[in-house]
Amino acid sequence: MSPHPDRLLRLIHALRCLPGVGPRSAQRTAYHLLQHDRAGALVLAQTLTDALEGVQHCQQCNNFTENPLCELCASDQRDGRLLCVLETPADLLMMEQTRSYQGRYFVLMGRLSPLDGMGPQDIHLDKLVRRACDGMTQEVILATNFTAEGEATAHAITELLRPRGLILTRIARGLPVGGELEYVDSGTLAQALLERRPSA
Amino acid sequence: MSAQRPPVESGQAFVLHAIAWRETSQIIELFTRQHGRVPVVAKGVRRARSALRGVLQPFQPLGVSWFGQGELRTLKSAEWQGGIPLLQGRAIFCGFYLNELLLKLVVRDDPHEGLFDIYTQAIQRLSEGDALEPVLRSFEVSLLRELGYALPLQQEADSHKPIDPGANYRFEVERGPVRLREGEVHAVQLSGKTLLDMAESRYEDPLTLNQSKQLMRLLLAHHLGHQDLHTRRIIQELPSL
Repeated sequence: MSPHPDRLLRLIHALRCLPGVGPRSAQRTAYHLLQHDRAGALVLAQTLTDALEGVQHCQQCNNFTENPLCELCASDQRDGRLLCVLETPADLLMMEQTRSYQGRYFVLMGRLSPLDGMGPQDIHLDKLVRRACDGMTQEVILATNFTAEGEATAHAITELLRPRGLILTRIARGLPVGGELEYVDSGTLAQALLERRPSA
Repeated sequence: MSAQRPPVESGQAFVLHAIAWRETSQIIELFTRQHGRVPVVAKGVRRARSALRGVLQPFQPLGVSWFGQGELRTLKSAEWQGGIPLLQGRAIFCGFYLNELLLKLVVRDDPHEGLFDIYTQAIQRLSEGDALEPVLRSFEVSLLRELGYALPLQQEADSHKPIDPGANYRFEVERGPVRLREGEVHAVQLSGKTLLDMAESRYEDPLTLNQSKQLMRLLLAHHLGHQDLHTRRIIQELPSL
């Protein structure tokens, strides 16, 4: 028999859906919310419901938005010939911070990860194909991570879109800006050597 | 009296798989030369400035050290050894497939030095752009042999008669090739030549490639039991791959 009331048990169980939260932290969080921060818990419950109801995927770029189209997709200031494919919304923020890209985006909300069972359905590849074949897009820039999973994802998208007459490009990898050979890791340096380009 | 330090193990290893753990760490399944499959926690590796971040990648030979007594050990260091270019394109999916086989068929802490060399060689061949399927088939046959399920590919089951390259066979799991009677057909039918080709890792013949693929699928399904191979399913789901 459990010493916890049924509702508390259900709360503990529900909290375990958070990433990195196991039984122990779920229990701690539940105690904390009920004992020390009931007001905070109420705000959390309401904003969570609110977000679930109000936040959706943008019809075009798949990023989170409150409207059918996100601000970036609704803007007429962007270059519709370029489409940059990213793994996560955080990647999109980084990309915008560069202030050097004026094209459109598509956010996969994940990556192909065969060992975790993450396949094409999980990263909205069908939606990407529809987006890229809108007639405006000429070049698709693959900006997935340089991990094995990110590379696998980029390869799969290339195979999928190239037959449709689009230009597929991959962001470059190599030494960081201001990077000194002495301090860069060997893996990066080895790959930079393999992917060297004609000197301008 | 000084506190006793935990013994540190070290050696060559590959990362088979990593999952995020807590805020900034990862649990990494290593395949090591001397200790087989070892799970370690890599603390702080997901921090932005972690030096290990770029090092702990799959399909790259590493020099690692770890300590700890329980099942989950703690990673102490990892160094990039190099020599194998990063896998590209379809070869990445094949690499994931090899990793999944190791994760599902090799038990933890069971050393297989021979298998480590076979895996290293397979990854090397994948990275060099060799034809992919022969690499996979050779690896599968060698994997089963190293795990103690060597395939009798040169002799018939029971009678031990040498395989006739011109005859047709079916393969009985845990027994071996059984010669088909005149006119008999079987779902996984193998020519004698296929069996002999497989025994010597020769996969130039398209018929050998096709029949060996079916045979290995059957045998792996037997050894995997109820476990699915995610990688195979995902490769099939990718329409034009």
